[in-house]
Amino acid sequence: MSGATSEPLLRVEELTVTFDGPRGDVDVVRELSFALEPGGSLGIVGESGSGKSMTSLAVLGLLPAGARRTGRISLSGRELTALTERQLRRVRGDRVAMVFQDPLSSLNPYYTVGAQIAEAYRAHRQRATRREARRVAVEAMERVHIDDAARRVDHYPHQFSGGMRQRVMIAMALCTEPDLLIADEPTTALDVTVQAQILRLLTEVRAETGAGLVLITHDLAVVSEMTDEVLVMRQGECVERATAERLFSDPRHPYTRALLDAVPRLDDEVGELRSVDEGGAR
Amino acid sequence: MTGGTTAREPAGEPLLRASGLVKEFRVPGRGGPLRRRDVLRAVDDVDLEVRAGETLALVGESGSGKSTTARLAARLLDPTAGTVTWEGADVTRLTGSALHHFRSGVQVVFQDPFSSLNPRHTVERIVTAPLLYQRRPIPGGARAFTRGLMERVGLNPDHSTRHPAQFSGGQAQRIGIARALAVGPRVVVCDEAVSALDVSVQARVINLLRRLQREEGLGYLFIAHDLAVVRQIADRVAVLHHGRVVESGDRDTLFAAPRHEYTRTLLAAVPRIRPEWEAARRARAAERATGAGRETEPTEDTR
Amino acid sequence: MARFLVSRLAGVVLILLLVCLFTFGVFFVLSPDPAVQICGKNCTPELIERIRDNLGLDEPLLTQFLTFVSGLFAGRTYGVGESATHCAAPCLGYSFQSSQPVWEMITDRLPVSVTVAVGAAVLWLLVGVVGGLVGALKRGTWWDRSAMVVALAGISIPNYVFALLLQYVLVVELEWLPFPQAVPFSEDPTRWFQNYLMPWIVLAFAYASVYARLTRANVIDTLEENYVRTARAKGLPGRLVIRRHALRPALTPVVTIFGMDFAGLLGGALITETVFGLNGVGKMTADSIARNDQPVIMGVTLLAAAFVVVGNVVVDLVYTALDPRVRVRSA
Repeated sequence: MSGATSEPLLRVEELTVTFDGPRGDVDVVRELSFALEPGGSLGIVGESGSGKSMTSLAVLGLLPAGARRTGRISLSGRELTALTERQLRRVRGDRVAMVFQDPLSSLNPYYTVGAQIAEAYRAHRQRATRREARRVAVEAMERVHIDDAARRVDHYPHQFSGGMRQRVMIAMALCTEPDLLIADEPTTALDVTVQAQILRLLTEVRAETGAGLVLITHDLAVVSEMTDEVLVMRQGECVERATAERLFSDPRHPYTRALLDAVPRLDDEVGELRSVDEGGAR
Repeated sequence: MTGGTTAREPAGEPLLRASGLVKEFRVPGRGGPLRRRDVLRAVDDVDLEVRAGETLALVGESGSGKSTTARLAARLLDPTAGTVTWEGADVTRLTGSALHHFRSGVQVVFQDPFSSLNPRHTVERIVTAPLLYQRRPIPGGARAFTRGLMERVGLNPDHSTRHPAQFSGGQAQRIGIARALAVGPRVVVCDEAVSALDVSVQARVINLLRRLQREEGLGYLFIAHDLAVVRQIADRVAVLHHGRVVESGDRDTLFAAPRHEYTRTLLAAVPRIRPEWEAARRARAAERATGAGRETEPTEDTR
Repeated sequence: MARFLVSRLAGVVLILLLVCLFTFGVFFVLSPDPAVQICGKNCTPELIERIRDNLGLDEPLLTQFLTFVSGLFAGRTYGVGESATHCAAPCLGYSFQSSQPVWEMITDRLPVSVTVAVGAAVLWLLVGVVGGLVGALKRGTWWDRSAMVVALAGISIPNYVFALLLQYVLVVELEWLPFPQAVPFSEDPTRWFQNYLMPWIVLAFAYASVYARLTRANVIDTLEENYVRTARAKGLPGRLVIRRHALRPALTPVVTIFGMDFAGLLGGALITETVFGLNGVGKMTADSIARNDQPVIMGVTLLAAAFVVVGNVVVDLVYTALDPRVRVRSA
């Protein structure tokens, strides 16, 4: 199994995330398994409460307090669940970088964007000087097409627009040349025109760096444009996993079918929108 | 609702009309008591009309002024300039009880169902509150009235004594709609009313809004940033950009042949599933529907 | 920035003028005739008349007020001819009781109040912030709970009760400290320190309790911020995540409140100074209120108001330096 040639970049096996609730334990993710080849892309789609975000946080051990994780997660054959916090820290932001949903609240308002990018770089390149880290920050900002990066590097997050902030987040993720990018709803908080730009940017930097992508989103159309493989989650479980082409042209699970039916379309004849039958009331 | 008959005049005179709407906000400039204030023009000369039985959608990105426009039209904000007329009468300067007639005619459904519903009140209390504010009698008593409303919006009437937290997001939005319907409005302003909902829930709420329009002849002023959603519900569309209407017109025309550059950019930016995949999926679905009697479907049907 | 400062300072002057007007109104107009008070027991109608004349009490109110304000900036002269006395630049008038210039009385006592305030502030900042931090980082542990119980006590026990209790235990029962007695620092530093120790502790206890709770709540909130999650996702060590990304945002509001509290205290700690017999501005205030010594009350009120208003501006400036969001907006 551990043939050195075909080790997947990320392998998740029987991942379960449990919260201690007031009425006992609640599994927000249940026995989830998937794998991603180096340079590959996987979309995880689901509605709210499907456990998709918890899955992304569980990979790097960033779950909130009160959540427990079982199962195996390996990165290029290295078991992450067995690592100490110190060892795991070296993986975070270095080999695996994350981009979060709301770029304004995900950036610290008290520091310049340059300082925050440089900090990500220096966390993993201890010998880097301040000047070098700053240069890297400017380069990373140029790479995500922030104009006038040499000057903008000293600006604070609130001086950027929403789309520019998300570019900063992506620059921060890219500055350490990660093998895997996990993007958790990276465009949900953005306007549609800005979303298009950010998605284009993600595709572009992936082509340049060859990094793998796990894209978490509620938007089926976004996933269909962005990833080769798609995993549909519902209430913590995987209901269907396939290549994008197969999933969108031949959905097998009733939930996936219903979900696809419910997506409003620009070019659709306006008929009665079908909707997913919710399993039981809350 | 009074007047049980369903079909109102489909077109005809607009019920709600706003013309030359302008809204300026003073934004704090520099600190201190001697500071200068900057003026931000959020809405800049917007006209709109809503007729019974039709939906006018206002689309735009954040900062386009669409929500402010909706609030001006619903008289929740006072315009800097321009007029709002209701059934032909100018209501721009009315306040207090003089506005009751207008408030009975125009109601608003907001984006976040939970923050716009008082968590300590029961559905019954939430839904009947607008009538109590206006000191109007509750037809048939509070309980029966609430049950009736809940049925109309597709909620279980037995849940009338529950609190908002006991409902899901989609159900809570239905309560918001029920509250809006309580005073028997003829126009409902939906301010991003389905934006916060999951797609499956969103589809159901859109269906509900459509059904109410079909059955009761409601007019909608529908505010949204999602063009695909607008496509599902609008008859006419106005595209806002920096507080101005850059293009407006009949929905199908606007989507098929957008004239303004910004509208084209907006439409091009919407992510979509590849048409060939969509076609294949539809073909398979159609095939399943016709061959449903014979093949694997029975396992699905015996729920 | 310059524009910001100028407009803030203009605001300060305006507010101080309003405070002047208000205190003037309250103390000179609504109180019993000052001339009768100054005159004392062996009073004759002529004497009263002379005093009224001296103080300008027969002038219209507005004139009296303007004379008072101009006295603040340019000094004023009481009476005419040989009996005239000149009161130099920041003139707040003379005490009815001791006939001393009020300005002098205040400047004599201010060092004591400043010493009390500074010492207490150092103590409460240290104890409060550290206590709050420990509470937040060791949330739910024995450390957290005991710190918060002590803090609750600090908030709920009245100042003077704690002062008397402390004095009883430390001085009378345990005899760890000598009975308080004013000694200048230059004469006997140890004795000076012992003398101030209890006032510091008493004042600091109440403030530290508030600060500990505030710090704890702020740190806990900040740790749940998305940018703290980002910092962890970047692979920063836990210590750095807390130091850089949690502490600065969490402590900035504490700085703001500290500025206001400290400025308020500079105007004198009424109860603490009185209980420990410290001859500061606070005690003077208490005494002058008891004797209805209007010029002193007014002087002290103005002083306290000035501290608070100026403190407010300083806090704004510091906040501007600490929080880039404010800085850029006002630049």
